[in-house]
Amino acid sequence: MNARLHPVPEQFDDPVQQREAATLGMWAFLATEILFFGVLFAGYTLCRVRFPDAFAAGSRHTDMLLGTIETAVLLTSSCAVALSVREVQLGGRQLATALLGITAALGASFLVMHGFEYYAEYREGLIPAVHWTQQGVYAKGMEIFYCLYYFITLFHSLHVSIGVVLLIVMAWRTWHRAYDARYHTPLELTALYWHLVDIVWIFVYPLIYLVGRAG
Amino acid sequence: MNTPAARPQRSHGSGPRPPSLGGNLWTLLALLVLLGLSAGSALLELGVFNTVANLGIAVAKALLVLTIFMRLKTDNALLRIVASAGFAWLAVMIALALADVLTRAPLLAPW
Amino acid sequence: MSTVERPAPPRSYLEEGFGLRSWLTTHDHKRIAILYGIGITAFFFLGGLAAALVRLELVTPAGDLVSAETYNKAFTFHGVVMVWFFLIPSIPATLGNFLLPLMIGARDVAFPRLNLFSWYLYIVGGLFTLACLLLGGIDTGWTFYTPFSTMFSNSHVMLAVVGVFIVGFSSIFTGLNFIVTVHTLRAPGMTWMRLPLFVWAMYAVALVMILATPVLAMTLSLIALERLFGVGIFDPALGGDPVLFQHFFWFYSHPAVYIMILPAMGVVSELITHGARRRIFGYQFMVWAIIGIAVVGFLVWGHHMFVAGQSMYASIVFSILSFIIAVPSAIKVFNWTATLYKGDISFDAPMLYALGFVGLFMLGGLTGLFLAATALDVNLTDTYFVVAHFHYIMVGGAVMAYLGGVHYWWPKITGRLYSEAWARFAAILMFFGFNLTFFPQYILGWEGMPRRYHEYLPQYQVWNVLSSAGATILGVSYLLPLLYLGWSLRRGARAGANPWDATGLEWQTPSPPPLHNFAQTPTVTEGPYAYRQ
Repeated sequence: MNARLHPVPEQFDDPVQQREAATLGMWAFLATEILFFGVLFAGYTLCRVRFPDAFAAGSRHTDMLLGTIETAVLLTSSCAVALSVREVQLGGRQLATALLGITAALGASFLVMHGFEYYAEYREGLIPAVHWTQQGVYAKGMEIFYCLYYFITLFHSLHVSIGVVLLIVMAWRTWHRAYDARYHTPLELTALYWHLVDIVWIFVYPLIYLVGRAG
Repeated sequence: MNTPAARPQRSHGSGPRPPSLGGNLWTLLALLVLLGLSAGSALLELGVFNTVANLGIAVAKALLVLTIFMRLKTDNALLRIVASAGFAWLAVMIALALADVLTRAPLLAPW
Repeated sequence: MSTVERPAPPRSYLEEGFGLRSWLTTHDHKRIAILYGIGITAFFFLGGLAAALVRLELVTPAGDLVSAETYNKAFTFHGVVMVWFFLIPSIPATLGNFLLPLMIGARDVAFPRLNLFSWYLYIVGGLFTLACLLLGGIDTGWTFYTPFSTMFSNSHVMLAVVGVFIVGFSSIFTGLNFIVTVHTLRAPGMTWMRLPLFVWAMYAVALVMILATPVLAMTLSLIALERLFGVGIFDPALGGDPVLFQHFFWFYSHPAVYIMILPAMGVVSELITHGARRRIFGYQFMVWAIIGIAVVGFLVWGHHMFVAGQSMYASIVFSILSFIIAVPSAIKVFNWTATLYKGDISFDAPMLYALGFVGLFMLGGLTGLFLAATALDVNLTDTYFVVAHFHYIMVGGAVMAYLGGVHYWWPKITGRLYSEAWARFAAILMFFGFNLTFFPQYILGWEGMPRRYHEYLPQYQVWNVLSSAGATILGVSYLLPLLYLGWSLRRGARAGANPWDATGLEWQTPSPPPLHNFAQTPTVTEGPYAYRQ
């Protein structure tokens, strides 16, 4: 496979039109992703308005340190994949592949860290319907918080997992010279997707980990 | 056979020119500083401003990722519109649903 | 080609392959449109059977034909199938898929494989819904209101929810394809203000599809979570908020009404300009009305919740916004009427459907204003008045326009002409059958008969019998096109490239069109509907 031999599908006039269509399609898809996650954030907002104290209590049970590290990891990975696209655009290949590998590795480490979080929460009895041992005035409200927490983070982790697979494929193909300075649309689209996964987490972080930390 | 349109053939388009290496790295630095600010401010007793500060910082971070990493700053204007549409629609949903919840008789918790 | 001999006429898309495999693996937007057409026709008649059962039960006041539970399952199945498996894909996925690339002078949609994939998703979603029916059905109503759907219903809610979840992705992908196609694949000279109104309608509906459907998908997932694990955010017993579910559900489902009616408006704009042989009156107003309906349609969902415990202040806001959306709808009706003025009107079958649409849509739309008024709505909520209102929009509006469009473009799609006399007869029969079915329901609702009851007071019987009689006529008028259009496939006269002498790029290529639509990509030099004045 070689970027120079990449054929333009017959519905397009030329590669410029193809790239325009592909990026527009990806952004339209990202807009739907914003709404996919957005519903959950809307649900979170309305429930938190009703149970502010329980949400604060629930948030205090999450692992803020790990959450902060995870955020930093995702931000860094976002930068890495952006640099990788840049490298391919400038004609590089080895460094681009390495950057994609780093991005995928950071994504995987995010998943592992989140796995540890889930395990700790399981031991603490913080998983509604599976293992829930919380008592006290806020227990019921916390259950709603944790419900949303699991739904949002699991849905997000699903996206991260898909992203990691895509990044590995992109790294493989970049290494095998499928992309060059003139043609690298799939790489660009994967990077866009990965950035969106990052943006979602940017909002998850304050809403899940940082509520009611003071005092 | 089907001949392409009358417009001239354009060569491979690779989108907007890549942002500089420094631009990317400074953005990452800014993001990490904002992350630190957000974590730090959460530990201070600011009342409602904890939430305001945290969400404000999150919006700033998201804008940085959107404009620099995702290149909305330099790419096609249409893409900026598409991206804004997603957020705008979400804002409408949250705003109108919140308008109901905040003004109706509170639903009592069953416990 | 070295000689100057006349090239043979290009092979049509129907001759590109004949086996089942050539259809099931096709990337051609025209073939995918036909695959969708077969799917939605099957579901239309399935949903119609469920409606027939409902109307049959309601002939007598006593609940004597089926049990209350079966009755609930019948109207739920009718609603789920008709909304998600017929109305939403009806015009966009069949006529839209077929015509959008033709109308803008493109060779295909931007993502042909995604297009085929969306059809498979539609079928898989449909199979889940059918499995739900075969295993015993679902009794929640098509709205899946919580906590009934999550805690109390003993029917197969999950199967239906999964089916609708999957079919949602099918419409997201269709919408995505349309948006990108309209933006990137227009032929040279096809500027935005030269697009046929049908294309504008497809574009607007695609926007609604991709911005609303994700909300439905996640809301259904939250229902699944609550039903499977007994935890969630909707059940009041768990501290959840059932009105929250209604907010999410209607944030999708009200715009979904515009997914059904906007394409119908697009079709009717094509039919009326052709039937009156005039330019559309106020093209730019029509465009902005389409966009206005698509956008404002997102801001009115709360009018479904006036009696659901929603705050009074929110209800007032939603009520005002609901009145506002009547403005662009009215602009469209006025402009269609003005287009007819001094027109050279021919009452052929597509035009009959279009005129029927305008009348029925107006009745449905005006009664919508009744329901947007909070004070009146308190009395009319969940009565047959609401049922009549939305059937006037969805059946009187969307189905009439769909059938009108199918007739109008039938020669283009199949290359054959149908029997005009039968088509006119069916169109007129449908108009009368429809009014006989649903107008009595306005009266029933006004008199206070609630919807979704399988028994009723004897005083309502006369109107119910009339309505059921009308439904029979309506059913016949839906079967008729199946017969004469089917007949035309084998025996109909061959249609030329432009049998109606209509304008529009789709008529400038042979019927049926070749695989890539045009022998040469057309260059557009004038706006749509350039009929002789």
